[in-house]
Amino acid sequence: MGYQDDAAAKSDVDRRSFLGSLGWLGVSISGLIAVVGNLLYLKPTVSYGPASRIVAGKPADFTVGAREVFENAQFALVREQDGFAAISLVCTHLRCTVRTSEAGFECPCHGSQYDRNGSITGGPAPEPLDWYKVGITPNGELEIDKTVKVSQGTYFNI
Amino acid sequence: MDLKISAVKTYLNDVFRSIFRYGKMPRDAEGQSFAVFNNLFLHIHPVKVTRHSLKPTYTFGLGLISAVLFLVLIFTGVWLMFYYIPTVDEAYNRMLDLRSSTNFGFVLRNVHKWAAEAMVVFVILHMARVFFTGAYKPPREFNWVVGVFLLLLTFGLSFTGYLLPWDQLAFWAITVGTSIAGYVPVMGEDIRSFLLGGDIVGQEALIRFYVLHVVILPGLMLVLLGVHFWRIRKDGGLAHPSENEDASAGGGE
Amino acid sequence: MREVKMENTHPRDPKKTYGLMELVKGTKPTVGLKPDKMVFTWPHVLIREMIIFVSVSALLLVAAFFIDAPLEAIANANLPPNPAKAPWYFLGLQELVSYSALVGGVVIPGLIVTVLILVPYLDRKKVGIGIWFAKERALANSLFMLFLVVMLILIIVGTFFRGPNWDFVVPWEAVKGH
Repeated sequence: MGYQDDAAAKSDVDRRSFLGSLGWLGVSISGLIAVVGNLLYLKPTVSYGPASRIVAGKPADFTVGAREVFENAQFALVREQDGFAAISLVCTHLRCTVRTSEAGFECPCHGSQYDRNGSITGGPAPEPLDWYKVGITPNGELEIDKTVKVSQGTYFNI
Repeated sequence: MDLKISAVKTYLNDVFRSIFRYGKMPRDAEGQSFAVFNNLFLHIHPVKVTRHSLKPTYTFGLGLISAVLFLVLIFTGVWLMFYYIPTVDEAYNRMLDLRSSTNFGFVLRNVHKWAAEAMVVFVILHMARVFFTGAYKPPREFNWVVGVFLLLLTFGLSFTGYLLPWDQLAFWAITVGTSIAGYVPVMGEDIRSFLLGGDIVGQEALIRFYVLHVVILPGLMLVLLGVHFWRIRKDGGLAHPSENEDASAGGGE
Repeated sequence: MREVKMENTHPRDPKKTYGLMELVKGTKPTVGLKPDKMVFTWPHVLIREMIIFVSVSALLLVAAFFIDAPLEAIANANLPPNPAKAPWYFLGLQELVSYSALVGGVVIPGLIVTVLILVPYLDRKKVGIGIWFAKERALANSLFMLFLVVMLILIIVGTFFRGPNWDFVVPWEAVKGH
C-alpha cells in the first residue's frame, strides 16, 4: 500500500514538471515570436529615399562617348558604341560618392580607383561599381531603374 | 498660546520625521550608518568601505568620473531635446540656432559634446584600471562582462549621437561607419538597413539614430549601470589585496 | 586585577539559544571586519564623490565656454570630404578596414569583444588582485598593455597621418602645405 502511494506521488510530480516544462516552452516560443515580430517591424519595407527610377532624357541628347553625371541619383549615364549604360557612383568600399576622372572613376575618401567600365584599378575597393538597368519609357525617354543591377558590359540599345 | 505653538512644532516635526526618519546630521557611528541605509539614494553604497578602495592612486576615480559624465550627458541631452528636431530639413538649422540665438544653447551643446568624448576616454581608462589591478578575478567575473557591454553601449551612444547635427562630419562618418557594418558576413546588409532604415543615410537613418540615441541606448545603459553598481556591492566592494591566495603574506592596507 | 565573572554581570537566560560571549572596548560595530581598515561611507566616500562631481562639472563648463564643438557645413551626399573619417574612436578600425574590410571591420573587432568578455573566465587564478601591475600578472598585464598601445597607435595614425585619398601624410608637412 505504502509503495503504491509513493509511486502515485512520484508520477504526480512528473506530470507537474512535465506541464511546467510545457509552460516554459510555450513562454519561450511566444517570446521568440515577439522578438522576431519586433525585428521585422523595424526592417524597412518602404523606401522613403530619393526615387529609384530616374527618367534621364531622350537618347538623342547623348552623343557616343558621353558620360553624364546625375548627382542626386548618384549614377553616371554612359553612351558607348554598344549602347547606353548607367554606372553607380557609390564606391563599393565604404559608400562614398566617386567622381569621374580621366581614367574612369576615383573615390576621394580612401583612394579607390576604377576604369571607365567601373572595374577596379587601384585602392581598397573590393568590388567593381554597380551597373543599373537602363530601359525606355513609352514616350521614348531613357529610364534608369536603380533597384535592378545588371552585369558589367550589359548595354541598352534602342 | 505657548501650548499651541509647541503643538504646531511637534506636528511639523512629525511631518518632517515621516519623510526623513533619522532627520539630523550624522555625528556618531550610528548616525553615519543611518546616513547610508536610511537613504534611498545613498543606499547604493555599503555603510563602510575599505580604506584601500579610497586611495586616490588605486582607482583614480575613473569609474565614478565615467558615471558622473553619464549623468551630465543625460541632463544636457534632455535639455537639448527641447530644441532639437530630428528631420533632415530642421536638424542642422537647430544646430545653428543653438550656437547663435538660443540662450546658453552653445554651452549645453558644448558640454554634451565634450562630456561624450570624455566618457569614451574615461570608460576605456576605467577598464584598463580594472585589468591592471586584476579586479576582474572571481567573484567579479560577471561585473567585468557587464562592463564590456557598458563600453559597447558607450560607443553606440557616441556613434548614434554623431549623426544628429546633420553636418558633413556627421553624414560621412555615419556613411563610412555603417558601411563597415555592411561587411559582416551573411547579415551585414540587414544590420546596415536596420540601422539606416533604408539604403542611404537620409531621413529614415536620422530618426532611427535619434530614437536609439535618446531612448533605447540610454535605457539599456541605465539598466546595466544599475546591475554594475549593485554587483560591486554584492561582490564585496572594490577588489582588495586580502582576496589573494597568498594574502596572509601581507598585501596592502 | 579583580576577576569579574561574566555569568554574574550578564546572567544567561536559559530560554535563549544564544548568549554573550565576550565584552570588548570600542564604539563601532566591527563584526567580521578588520576594524582599522574600514571607514564610514558617510563622510569619507560621499565627500570624495561630491568633489569629483563638482570638479568634473566645473571642468566641462570651462571647456564648453572656451572650446566649441565642431560643426561643418550641412550634410551633402554629393560632396564627399577627402578623406572621409569615422569618429576618432573608430579610426583604428577604419585604418584596419583600409587594408581589408572583412578582417579589419568584422573579424578583428569581433575577436576583440569576444576575448574581452572571456578574459575573467580564462584568467581565474586569484593572484595580483587589488594591486597595480602585480608581478604575478606580468604576462596578462603586458598583453593588455600591448593591445591598448596598438589600438592607440592605429587611432593616432588614422587621425593625424591619413590625408587625401587615405594616403600616408606627415601632419606637420600638411600644415606647411596649406
